[in-house]
Amino acid sequence: MHASRILRFMGTLIFFLGTSMILPLMVALWYREAGTRSIVYSILIACAAGVVLYFAAKRDEEKSLSHRDGVAIVTFGWVAAGLVSALPFMLSGAIPHFTDAYFESMSGFTTTGASILANIEAVPRSLLMWRSLIQWLGGMGIIVLSIAILPFLGVGGMQLYKAEVPSPVVDKLKPRISDTAKVLWKVYILLTLMEIFLLIAGGMPLYDAVCHAFCTMPTGGFSTKNASLAHFNSPYFDTVVIVFMLLASVNFSLHYKFIKSNTGIFHRDPECRFFLVLVAFFILAVTINLYLTIYPSIGKAFRYAAFQVVSIISTTGFATADFDRWPGFSQIVLVLCMFLGGMAGSTAGGIKTMRIILLGKQAYLEIFRIIHPHAVTSLKLGGKPVPQEVMSGIWGFTLLYLSIFVVSALIISALGLDAMSAFTAVAACVFNVGPGLGAVGPAQNFLAVPFLGKWVLIFCMLVGRLEIYTVLVLMMPEFWRK
Amino acid sequence: MKIIIVGAGEVGFHIAQKLSEENQEVFLIEKDAEKIKRITEELDVQAILGSGTSPVMLKTAGIKDADMLVAATDSDEVNLIACLLARHLNHYILKVARVRNPEYMKETDLFSGDLLAVDQIINPASVMVETILNLISVPGAADVINFVGGRVKLIGIVVKPGSPAAGRQLLSFRDMEGKILVGAIVRGDQVFIPHGEDTIQANDLVYLVARTDEIPLGKDVFGYQEKEIRRVMIVGAGMTGSALAAALDQTKLHVKIIDKDPQRCAILADTLERVIVINGDGTDRNLLQEENIADTDFMVSITGDEESNVIISLLGKGLGARKCITRINKLSYIPLVSAIGIDTVVSSRLSAIRAILQYIRKGKVISVAPLKGEHAEAIEAEALETSDVVNLPLAEVKFPKGAIVGAVVRGEEIIIPRGDTVILPKDRLIIFALQNVVPKLEKLLTVKLDFF
Repeated sequence: MHASRILRFMGTLIFFLGTSMILPLMVALWYREAGTRSIVYSILIACAAGVVLYFAAKRDEEKSLSHRDGVAIVTFGWVAAGLVSALPFMLSGAIPHFTDAYFESMSGFTTTGASILANIEAVPRSLLMWRSLIQWLGGMGIIVLSIAILPFLGVGGMQLYKAEVPSPVVDKLKPRISDTAKVLWKVYILLTLMEIFLLIAGGMPLYDAVCHAFCTMPTGGFSTKNASLAHFNSPYFDTVVIVFMLLASVNFSLHYKFIKSNTGIFHRDPECRFFLVLVAFFILAVTINLYLTIYPSIGKAFRYAAFQVVSIISTTGFATADFDRWPGFSQIVLVLCMFLGGMAGSTAGGIKTMRIILLGKQAYLEIFRIIHPHAVTSLKLGGKPVPQEVMSGIWGFTLLYLSIFVVSALIISALGLDAMSAFTAVAACVFNVGPGLGAVGPAQNFLAVPFLGKWVLIFCMLVGRLEIYTVLVLMMPEFWRK
Repeated sequence: MKIIIVGAGEVGFHIAQKLSEENQEVFLIEKDAEKIKRITEELDVQAILGSGTSPVMLKTAGIKDADMLVAATDSDEVNLIACLLARHLNHYILKVARVRNPEYMKETDLFSGDLLAVDQIINPASVMVETILNLISVPGAADVINFVGGRVKLIGIVVKPGSPAAGRQLLSFRDMEGKILVGAIVRGDQVFIPHGEDTIQANDLVYLVARTDEIPLGKDVFGYQEKEIRRVMIVGAGMTGSALAAALDQTKLHVKIIDKDPQRCAILADTLERVIVINGDGTDRNLLQEENIADTDFMVSITGDEESNVIISLLGKGLGARKCITRINKLSYIPLVSAIGIDTVVSSRLSAIRAILQYIRKGKVISVAPLKGEHAEAIEAEALETSDVVNLPLAEVKFPKGAIVGAVVRGEEIIIPRGDTVILPKDRLIIFALQNVVPKLEKLLTVKLDFF
């Protein structure tokens, strides 16, 4: 462990976050808001803290980062990023309590989208912009962004990259990791710009378009309106957002390869194919269920079903309907969607399609081996064999994910939430979705969750975003031994 | 024609034997003195003791004025070096090389380019895989040979006692005239080219020619195409077994492949999508039963050990496999195994010999496929304008006794001929002929050209 290097890195990160607050500052100046001064203070505090951390730490001559350094940098970096970005909320007085402010900023960074704000529209626009921006930064990953723009990370970049990217296998698109990070960010920026353009083309004000695009591409789900996307009540916006939520839950390397080769690569990728079929199937099931119960027209049922299924399976969490009032079947499908999540290597949360496919194939092979005891089998995805380490990694991951889910749900329900609310609140946070059902449904918020519960949920969000191992490994005593 | 053959293993020996029987001038280079002795005693060829990769030896064999070099040793590298030297010593010589390593085959430019300029690569494993795939495509056939790119098939059928065809005179198959033609009959050790008055007997091996799409017409009479093949079991995952499994992986058949070597199995399992790979001993009765040998339509015993292959096939047959293909290398075993009840035999050497002979006869004669027992051949040839066969009804053409035209290919059209069919120049003919009339036949097909 190289403590000084970790501190220097965190100093850089905090300084960078401070500078990124210039965007909300510009919004505040444009709308002549009263809270402009608090944002300036936040920038100054963050930049000063960053500079102090950077220069206080001794310069380390050694270049390479160990795997442990990488894990520590990523986890501490995320914890610190949450602290820094909570500053504007607290200083402006919009969210006076530290716990609430930290919850909101971690919910942003981890692209969860769970909010403690009861009346979003009362919050200054600059802060809402900040909330959206941190989601956007957290979506592709602040560490991956650092790798892309900070040349000195070149050597140890791979360790950091592995620790932050949500995928069981690391897909290197370019020989150099910093180039890979750059490529991913370019694709991400390109898609965001396209969405902003399409939303404005449909008549959404520039400010709302930017905020919503910033929250769609990372599959975050913060909105500038109390009623989320239902506020606009526009089929056009729904369609645009559905398309971009789907794009965001597709592996970004596929987007890159598509742009590069310009051929229909999506349907050839087994994970993508499975994901799209699954989404189509869920939409169909929910549409039928809604049509038979609460919506009189099939068109309406389809519109809300499609939006909500895509919003939840991509773990975005936008709402166009209060699905807390939907029939039980549709709700269970949506909860299932929370668990599944998008594809590996996307900005979506959840267990991820690739893991689901591989676990399914593994289960099939176990049964197959009972029928053919002497058979030699090989687990393949898209014709390529999957190494055994990856498989055991997935088993461990899934088990840990579910255990954390169960333990957290127990704690939250012990704190007094009803079963449905506790269950879905934890699911919404671990899988980075946002809204749950019941007391934490799309029309409600997380303000009423008790103090301890909020910290448990913050932990869940971080664990969910960094895919468990990166966070849990820091809790192992072995990790800290010299 | 002056032909130099490098390597007097079984392949080289048999090619030399065939060619010398056809009165070609054959030089055989072999480094084993024992083999040289045997060759000089048995064959009418010039045997030279030495290495095929030695320029001195090649010059001794007269490479400068030779027409063709056949590199047929067991070593790919020796064969390729021999070709390289041959090209260096005689720029215009035709080169045929036996190459077994599939990795070389993937480098397509390696052979065609200026570097080696090999005219024909013979890969026995891929020829064998093709043979087995052909057999699977016509269930019930003992032998399947493709002509004209697979549009005409020659199928060998064993007529079972009690089959409707047994005991019938060929003349009585009126409804099949112009569609299916009996080209050759193998009865015991004898092969003959039948006439209308001849009668089919039980246990005859009958060779039929038909357009690929019309093959089902004869199924009731001759009793092939029994049940469609669905389950295939391959024993042995060597080079040929793996290649066969990879080819079958693309089909809808249910395929299992068994091999003893766990590592080989693991590699196979990584590359195959649908084929079930099983690690175990193919001679293990319990394993075969566990993998449901009784319902297997097609069993292919293709391990490297030919004695095991025979045992595995017999075991498989005994346990209920419908049909077995057995790989045997020693050509002298082939007559023996059919006596003990093995249906079909494939041999990498036989495949190599077939392929090399096909190439050697290339030119006027397009391709040749020796029939079972090697005493008769199916020859694909072009009817030259100057030859004596064109522009006459077939009945009037003076074909040598023991030869018959099985099919006429005219552009896109395929004609199964009758007595009144007229051959036009540029037609391609598929002719059945006994081996001893082949030289006469070649003369008939090309006669006037020889004056040039």
